[in-house]
This record gives sequence, C-alpha cells and structure tokens, in this order.
Amino acid sequence: MFSRLLYGAQNTLGGAVIALAVALVIGIPTGLLAGYYGSWFDSVSSWVVNLVMALPAMVVLLASRAILGNTVWVLMIVMGVLVAPSFFRLVRGIVVTVRNELYVDAARVSGLRDWRIIGRHILIVVRGPIIVQISLVAGVAIGLQAGLEFLGIGSGSTPTWGAALNEAFQNIQRAPVLMVWPGVALGVTSAALVLFGSSVRDILEEGAGEPPRAVALPAEAPRDADSAPRGTLLSVRDLAVAYARDGGGEKEVVHGVSLDIDTGRILGLVGESGSGKSQTAFSVLGILPQGGRVSRGSITVGGTEIVGLPEKRHRGLRGRTIAYIPQEPMSNLDPSFTIGSQLVEPMRVTLGLGAAEARTKAIELLRMVEIADPERTFRSYPHQISGGMAQRVLIAGAMSCDPELVIADEPTTALDVTVQAEVLNLLRRLQSERGMGVLLVTHNLGVVADICDTVAVMEHGRIVETGTVAQVLTAPSHPYTQRLLASVLDESDVRPPWRDPSTEVTPA
Amino acid sequence: MKRTRILPAGAAVVAASLLLSGCGGTGADTASDTLNIATMTVPSSLDPVDATGSALPYFQAVYDTLIKRAPDGSYEPMLATEWSYNDDRTVLSLTLRDDVAFADGTALDADAVTANLLRFRDGGGTDSANLAGVTDVTAVDATHVDIVMDAPNPGLEFYLSDSAGLMANPAGFEDEDALKTTPDGTGPYRLDADGTVIGTKWVFDKNDEYWDSELPFDTVTISAFDNENAIVNGLKTGQIDTALLQSVDQQIAAEADTALTSTPTSFDFQGLFLFDRDGAVTPELGDVRVRQAINYALDRQTMLDQIMQGRGAVTSQVFGVNAPGYEESLDEAYPHDPAKAKELLAEAGYADGISLTLPRMAAIVSDPLASAIQTSLAEAGIELTWEDLDQATALQRIFSDREFSGTVLNIGQSSNDWIVIQSLILPGTFNMFGSTDPEVQSLVESIRSASADDAVTDVRALNEHIVEEAWFAPFYRVEHQLVTDAGVTAEPQSGLAVPSIYNYAPAK
Amino acid sequence: MLTFIARRIIAGVFLLFVISALSYVLLSLPGADVGRSLLGQSASAEAVAAKNQQLGLDRPVIVQYGDWLLHALRGDFGSSWFTSENVLTSISNRLPVTISVMAGVTIVTAVLSFLLGIWAAVRGGWIDRAVQIVSVVGYALPGFLITLILVIVFAVQLRWFPAIGYIDASVSLSGWLSTITLPIIALSIPAIAGVVQQVRGSVKDVLNRDYVRTLRARGLGPNRILFRHVMRNASAPALTVLGMQFVGLLGGAVIVEQIFGLPGIGSMTVSYTTRGDIPIIMGLIMFTVVGVILINLLIDVVIGWLNPKARIAS
Repeated sequence: MFSRLLYGAQNTLGGAVIALAVALVIGIPTGLLAGYYGSWFDSVSSWVVNLVMALPAMVVLLASRAILGNTVWVLMIVMGVLVAPSFFRLVRGIVVTVRNELYVDAARVSGLRDWRIIGRHILIVVRGPIIVQISLVAGVAIGLQAGLEFLGIGSGSTPTWGAALNEAFQNIQRAPVLMVWPGVALGVTSAALVLFGSSVRDILEEGAGEPPRAVALPAEAPRDADSAPRGTLLSVRDLAVAYARDGGGEKEVVHGVSLDIDTGRILGLVGESGSGKSQTAFSVLGILPQGGRVSRGSITVGGTEIVGLPEKRHRGLRGRTIAYIPQEPMSNLDPSFTIGSQLVEPMRVTLGLGAAEARTKAIELLRMVEIADPERTFRSYPHQISGGMAQRVLIAGAMSCDPELVIADEPTTALDVTVQAEVLNLLRRLQSERGMGVLLVTHNLGVVADICDTVAVMEHGRIVETGTVAQVLTAPSHPYTQRLLASVLDESDVRPPWRDPSTEVTPA
Repeated sequence: MKRTRILPAGAAVVAASLLLSGCGGTGADTASDTLNIATMTVPSSLDPVDATGSALPYFQAVYDTLIKRAPDGSYEPMLATEWSYNDDRTVLSLTLRDDVAFADGTALDADAVTANLLRFRDGGGTDSANLAGVTDVTAVDATHVDIVMDAPNPGLEFYLSDSAGLMANPAGFEDEDALKTTPDGTGPYRLDADGTVIGTKWVFDKNDEYWDSELPFDTVTISAFDNENAIVNGLKTGQIDTALLQSVDQQIAAEADTALTSTPTSFDFQGLFLFDRDGAVTPELGDVRVRQAINYALDRQTMLDQIMQGRGAVTSQVFGVNAPGYEESLDEAYPHDPAKAKELLAEAGYADGISLTLPRMAAIVSDPLASAIQTSLAEAGIELTWEDLDQATALQRIFSDREFSGTVLNIGQSSNDWIVIQSLILPGTFNMFGSTDPEVQSLVESIRSASADDAVTDVRALNEHIVEEAWFAPFYRVEHQLVTDAGVTAEPQSGLAVPSIYNYAPAK
Repeated sequence: MLTFIARRIIAGVFLLFVISALSYVLLSLPGADVGRSLLGQSASAEAVAAKNQQLGLDRPVIVQYGDWLLHALRGDFGSSWFTSENVLTSISNRLPVTISVMAGVTIVTAVLSFLLGIWAAVRGGWIDRAVQIVSVVGYALPGFLITLILVIVFAVQLRWFPAIGYIDASVSLSGWLSTITLPIIALSIPAIAGVVQQVRGSVKDVLNRDYVRTLRARGLGPNRILFRHVMRNASAPALTVLGMQFVGLLGGAVIVEQIFGLPGIGSMTVSYTTRGDIPIIMGLIMFTVVGVILINLLIDVVIGWLNPKARIAS
C-alpha cells in the first residue's frame, strides 16, 4: 500500500508539475505582453483565452484522450493548456491596472526599456497573486486527476493517487480504510500547496507577514507635568507611539512629543522621512495603522482629551473638528466612486445633510478650491482628473464639515512645482478666511517659511527644536535644524520616489 | 409545464417541509402502485429493431412478444396462441389471437406480424443476424402466419420470445424515426411522454385497454444511472424498488441493508475469447497446445476470490448451467497448472514463451483483473501486453478491423443451446475468423435439424470438443444480485440478465 | 457600454463558430465507427455501412460539419445517434437540473465566501487563521470524497435528503429544494474555499489603501467604509475568481451529478462523450459556450460598473 502510494506520488505530482509548467509558460508571458502593450496582441490573445475558457473542459479532456492517447501525461498537458487562461487573465488584469500607475509612468519617462519595466516593476506586482494561483492550480490538477479516475476515464494503467482512491472507493464496503491513505495524501498535498503559496505570498508582499495586533493597554499619563501653557486648539504632551512587535512586546517610535497650536495658527512639523511626523499627525486623528497605539501622553483638541477616548466619540471629532489632507492625492481618492459622491458622503454622514443640500455644498466647495468646472469635476472619477485637481478635491473634502483643525500631511510633496504654489496659496487663503488651525507636516522648510506661524523640528521621534518661524529659520539652535536648513539651500526640491502603498509596512 | 403557486411561506416553513419531504420520501415512493426500476442499460431507441439484451424490459412494457418466455425458460402463448414446426423443421406456423389491436385501432393480425418480422430481418439490427435464415413470412389468413426458413433454426422460438417477437404497429413503419421516441405496441403499459426524460427516466402508465390481465403496478418507471453506487443509495432510501447489481462491492453494500432482499442470479460469464484459432494475427495461437497452455496458465480460483470475492463459479466451458448442453465436469477441464502450460508451449516449439497483445476495455477489464491475467500468463511464459481502447473505437477495432487475436468479454449465457452455438461457435461476430473443423461441422448439422431434446447428446459432444480445442479460455460465471426492497418481489428471468417486466409483483 | 456589449456579443458569435468547427473536427478525428458502435458487434458489415450512410457519416468531415452548421443555424441540432432523442429537447430537459445546482452554488459561494473572507481580513488573528485552515481543508479534499460523505451521512443514514434524483420546482418546490441541497453543498465547499482566499486577499489589500485612511479621517464609520468602499473595490478580483469557479463548476457538476444520479448536463457530457455521440456533444458544447460567454460578459459588465477604471481599459 505504502509503496503504491509512493509510486503513485511520482505520477500524481509529476502530472501536476507538467500541467503547471505548461500553464505558466503559456499564461504568464502572454498575460504580461497583453496587459502591458494592449492593442492588437491584447485583443487577439484575450479572444483566444475566451475561446479556451469557453470550451467545456470535460469534453476537451475526453476528446484529446481519444485522439492523443490515454495517459496521465497527456491529460495533464491538456489540463495545463486549459488552465493557462486563468494565469493569463490574472496577470493581464493586474498589469492593466498598474500600467498607468505613476511609478510605471515614471520608469517609462526616465527612459527604462519596456522589458526592464516589465521585469522590475510589473513582475513584482504580479508575483504574489501568481504564487497563490499556482498553488490553487496544482491542487486543482491533483484533484482533477482523482475526479477523472472516479469517473473511470483517468490515467489508463498508470498508478496515481486518484486511481488508488477510486479503487478504494470501489471497495468502500469491504475495506473503507483503504480510502484513508490516498485521501490523506491528496488532502495534505493540496493543503500544503495552498498554505505554502499564501505564506510565500505573505513574505513577499508584506515583509514580516501580517502586522501583529496592538497591545490592548491604556496609555500612560504624560510624564512631565504641565510646565508650559497648553495650546488653545491642539495641545500634545509627552506623546509616545508604539507598535506591537512580531514576537510580542512593543517598539516605541515616537518618544514624548509635545506641541501646541492656538486657534487660527499654523504649526509646521518638520523632519525627514521616518522622523515620526506622520505618526504624530495620525495620533491626533486617531487613525494609526494596525498594530500602532498611543502608549503615553495627552492630546487635547479644543480642550477635549482624546487619548483614551472611545473610538465612536473620536470618530465624531474626525471630519467635523479635525480634518485631514493627505500627501498623495491620487491614491487617497477611492477609484470606484465619483468625486461628487466622495464629497457628499461624509457630509451626509457627519453633518446629516440631505442629498440635494450636500450636493449643492459639494459644488460650492469645489468652486471654493478654485476648480474651474465644478459640475463636471463632481461627476468625474478620480482617474479622470489631474493630481493637482485631486489635491484640491481632497482639500475641499477636508473643508466640507468646517473643521477647526486641519492636519495636512505633506500636502504639496507629490505635486508639480507650479501646482505646489497654487495649492499652498489655496491653503493659506482658506486658513485665513475660516480661521482654522493647521498642523502642517512637511519636510520642506520653504513651505514652512511661506505659511507657518510656528515650527517644530522632529528627529528620530523627538522634537528637537520649537519656536516661531522667524526664530527657528534665522537662528537654528539644534544641529539637525541647521543641517536641514543647509540642505534646502543646496538643492531644489525633487519629488520623492513613489512607494507602493500595499508594500508599505509602517508609514513614515 | 404546470405552474405551481408559491405560497407566501417563510424560509422556516420551506426548510421544515424540505426536511419532511426528505423523511417522507421513503414511504411515498414505495407505494405499490408504482414500480421504480433502476438500471445501467439505456436503449438506443424504443423502436423494436433496436431492442437488445438487458434493454428488453423497456420494450416489454410497451410491446408484447409473439411468444412469452416464462421465468424458467418455458414458452407460453402471448400474441401467438399456438405454434408448430413442419416435419423438416423449416416452417414455423403461428396462430395469432384475434382480439388484439393497437391504440389507433389497427388490428394485430397476420399482416402486421409479417411486416414486423420482415422488418426485423431487413432492419440491420441484432435480429437481422438472428433471422437471416428466414426466406419468407407469409400471412395464411388473418390469424395464421408461416415463417419459412432455408434451414432449421432451433433458436427461432427463443427469438420470438425475445426482441424479434416484439410487435409494433406497422402504421409507424412509414416514418423511419417515428417509433424511436413514440413507441406503439399492444403491451401492458404506454409511454408517458411528459414524465419521461429520454436517457434518464422512462415512465410507463398502465394501458387501460390491455387485452390480457393487467400487471399489478399502475405505473412503472425505469431510471438509468451511470454508476451502481447511486442505485444502491436509491435502494437504501427507498427511491428505487429494484435493480440488478453487478459490482461485488455494491452487492455487499446492498446486503448490509436488512430492508433489502438480494437474490443471486447467474447469467454472464467472463473469459478470454481466443478468436485467432488459425493464427492469422498471432501465429502461435494456431497451435491448439498454445491455446490449451493459456487455459492451464489461468489461476481461475484465485482470480475469482480476489476480484469477485469468490462470488460466482470457475468454468472452462461457454455453456451455462441452464443450457442442456452444459457438462458440469467441463468446469474443471483446465485446472491451474503453470508447469503443464510451459510443457505444452515447449511441445508447440515455444519453450522461450510467446508474447500476446490483447485489447483492454476498462469497463470490462478492471485494473486488478488486468494484472491478475498478466501475472497468471507470465508464470507460464506468456508475455501479455494490454492495449487500452476507448469505448468509441473498441468495437470497431476488435470486431470490424479484427486487429486482435482475442479479447476479454462478459457474455450472457443463453439457456438455449442453439443460441450458444450460433453466437459463439458458428462463424460470426464471436468467431470472426470463421474457425471450424469437420467435427464441429458434422455435430452442428445434426443438432440443427433435431428437436432440442434429441440434440442434447450432440451438443454436449460439441461442448466437449470446443473445450478440448481451447477455442476459449473462460474464467468464471459471474454472480449478480437481484435486489428488491420490502415492497416488491422479483423473479429472475431465464435467458435474460434482468427480470422480464412481468416478473415483478407487490410484496404481500 | 452598449458598444462594448455589442462588440463582445459579435466576438462571442465568432467564437461560437470557431469552437463549433474545432470541436466537430476534433470529435471526428478518432474515426470511431459509429454504425458499428450503434448496431453492436453482431451486425453485418453491410448493415453498419448502411447505418453510417443513413447518419451521413460516409461523407467527408467538412461536409458533415457544413451540414450540421446549416441545420444548427436554423435551430435544428438533430437527434442523438445513440438514444434517438432530439438534442434540443434533451438538453432543455436536463438544463434546469444543472442550472438549479449551479445557481445555488454560485449564490451560496458568493455570499459565504464574501462574509468569511471579509471577516477573516478585518478581524485577522485566530479568526483569520481558522478561516484559512478551513478553506484549505475544504479545498484540498477531493470533491467526490466530500460528495460521498454527504450522501452517506445525510441521505442514507439520517434520511434528511433524498440520495438520488431530481424533482423539478414546477412539480414540488420542497422536493426541488430537497434534491438540490446536498449537491449544492458538495459543490460549494471547494468553491467557497477557493473564492474566500481571493476575497480575504483583496479586502486586506484594499484596507491598506490610502483612501481608506482618508475616509476614516473624514469621520466615516468602519462598517460604512467596509461595506461601501472596501467591498466595492475588493469585489472585482473576487468576482473574476468567482466567474472562473463557475466555469470550473461544469467539471465538478459531472461528478456530483453522477453520484446523486441527477439527470443534468454534467452526467450527460461524460456518457455521451465517451460514446462519441457527436450531435449531442455538439449541442452541449454550444450550450456551454454560450453560457460561459454570457457569464464572462456579465462579470465584465459588473466589474466595469464597480471599477470605472477598468471600464476605460476595456
């Protein structure tokens, strides 16, 4: 029995490998090419794929068996051809969606050859889904063999697990135990394949795998007593942010940050990537990524303590009292909804407006952020508008519920230089018209000089210097501030490389 | 199609009724007014020219035969009340009932019978071969028919009690396809076209105008399945009343259920048909010693034990126990004796063994049987190679193209000696190379012109001669189980694998 | 949108034509002697030749196909060689069986795999792991094994459901439900196992998107974000997989229909293909291909509706 199982394994697994190899060799390159170049190749290959997918597999298998011979190998090669379209569709689908993404565009603009773009940028995106698909298809191939054997149209006289299972099934009344081993062998193999596939994908896609859940502990009180007077709009005291570690325990990434904003004032929070600026901003908004929590300190907004506030009440503050303007405009709009519906929805939810009222207000907001044709933009989908326009839409969204505090996370970084200035002017105008306080997260000291009242400089999760813009920019006391200042004078601001949001572990 | 009003019932009601109907299914379906028969045989049409073997019950429901064959094989009047041969047994005179008519009023008279018989003879089906010797059929008067043959045919009465006796309405002969799906006979039932799904389920309703005493069931359904597993499940749940089970494992499964009754029946035998007795394909087989060696090499008892769980009986002859020509001692004519087999091969000049290629139809030769035969023959120095054939081309390659020197077959054993002789020993389908010898010829001639009782001695001599000449290498007679549930009784039918439609009755 | 659908339908018709030609030739290639198979081994050579002539099989394959095509265009798909039944009648007799089961499986699979997939992706932790393990087990068990176990336990032992057969909904609604329940469960288990992975993956992916964070920052509640924004964006890939599963179901239906003795398209496919009954097989192929084309079109339309970007790309 055992030796038959081992011998069967060779044929069963060998067959699955052949089916897979055939499917991969046919499916992936064609999918890449069709997705990347589109045009006639896409039309032709998609048509052929539809043809293959529309064929009833069972009939094809039976017919090819009659024509090509009755061996497990023939069946598996045919099977490979039949499943190749699933790889093609998968790959083509992903490639079509990333083909026009900014980073691919950037690579193209920077003169990379197509095959390098495909190899370096696109293949990386598709490899995860492909790996999962491989394990699924391998499972299907193995299962199909067994099924065909069951129908008595299997491998002829080649011993496979399917054949063993079928034979056991015929003897189920006499010796039901015979069914166990080939069944277990089949089951365990497919299960192993699927688990292997998804863990490889997880490793590739998410680095260390899924982030562990945040430790469920209340935040400690701030360590230093209230020495300085607290800001009237926002006051942060001894804020520490910690992330749960894989093996348990926590890692602190923000260490005791304190800052204040008075009503109607603008604070620039400056620092390089990874200095903890965004973590601080997200803490105020209460939208730290999974695994992160405020582990210590106090945050008050308009006098209300929000550390330890129940999520529901915190949510009540978001949008209405605190608003958020993100960094990358395109990725912060839901691609499936029109601009209009994305503006209307939060107003209806948080302000309880009626549909018509919210629509009027949304169009007003679009006009307010200096969008030329607000009606048309209202009806547009995010992919139909430019990056600068998208950022205006996001600003309009932030303004929609008349917030007191706006947290702007590098609002101009992803934009063209000319657009940057316009957006900044817009921000400044809105701020002064509405008397909002602004926490402006940036690494750009030029922006700070332009519109901020006060500035806080962060390095390695700590505030190293605070003061008025005039003080800090003209007479920096901390060496880090001095270095930052020096670098601004040296080089012009360039757009940072795009990062795939799905591969990002913890935001900077 | 009838529309059912859907009551505004909640999901719970639907679920409840679903459970109820599941539970209640047992009681409702076994009511004695409906007989549910399950089978794996599908008739190629309901036109009598297409009637063969185990599909006969489908036809018996709608058509009557000229002669009725009782379960024990004896002949009884049906549409013909009397029949007799002339002196040289070349003319059979039939006297018909005068009170039988088809649904449209056409009388079943001598003209109708003549038209039917001639149609069988010329129709190209199985009965064309059976009635090949019929030179003329003449209607003497309205109720008398003479069947004239060129030579005596001792099988004629059997044929007229079998498919060639099925009388259809000659009005349907005009349109070639009419009878195929709309059968028109004088039988006890009529096809319910609305309830019938050809290929799956045939429903027959009682013929209220039936000329004879009614059969005990108002409705008979015959359902076709692809596997006996489904049939056994149906028997166990009461959805099927009766079925003939061929696979040993399904027989065991049915026996395990105490509510079911199993009656052993024996009809088929399985064996290796050595067609090539003159050595046209495999020259070695032209030597009787090689054919005998194959017979000695087979370990019949072990094969029966391992493959059939010992169900059945080993045999070396092609005559079945119900045929007068059966000789019990011939069952053991070739005991398992590999040494003797080798000796015979050596005498024939093949001391180094021979090699043999046989076709394999998976439906007949299972994996275990294939390897058992291979092992048995190998012991005697005969190297057997199986060539896998698929169902669609198997008959053609074996019987039309005569590519192989023999094949393994399951064949029903007629209770009529002449039919055994005609189908297996005389030149024809199963004697495709036309093997014969003077002794066969002289025995056949004397058997042909004698009455069945007088011919017995000669038939036995012929049987013995064929065994000695090793025209065949039979393995064993197979045992089938006729299974019925508590509500039905069934009696096995002589000369047929399954019971005639008349052999079922409600259990007392 | 309408031009898109029209273009797809024209392409589909062309596809049907190519597939029919390809299939006919492919099916005729083995050169089986149909007359011989029909009449049995004992028929004479002349009778076989006559039968073949009657069926038109003595003509070249291309002529046979042309003849078939001309008749098919007029809606006449002929009759089975082996059981004499009209092809259209026999397919339409069996179609409700397979459609009932497949529709049931698709609904059950869509609902359960979305629920489980979202649950696993959102809650993570042990729930995620449990869903993953269950789905892997469901996926890894050979389909017919699941089916056999279901029959033995729920039909033969417990008698909750009939073990075999099909009752049409027009005859008895409860009977219909009782006959299709076990087949649906049997086919749904592996289908859910496959789709749940995809749903979980896409939901996790979408949850990490920037716009989800922005929506949270706008004060939208987690359920609203999940069911309106995340689900819509995660649906497209999941629907693609669901569509593939549906096509794959045709294969699974074969085994399930045999075990449950269901008179559907699946069991028909095997028995008629092994016999080489070309009129029936051609009819079956045409039906399946039309079905698959429609399903794919439907899925593309739904995906286009869900994802405006894909609308442009196609």
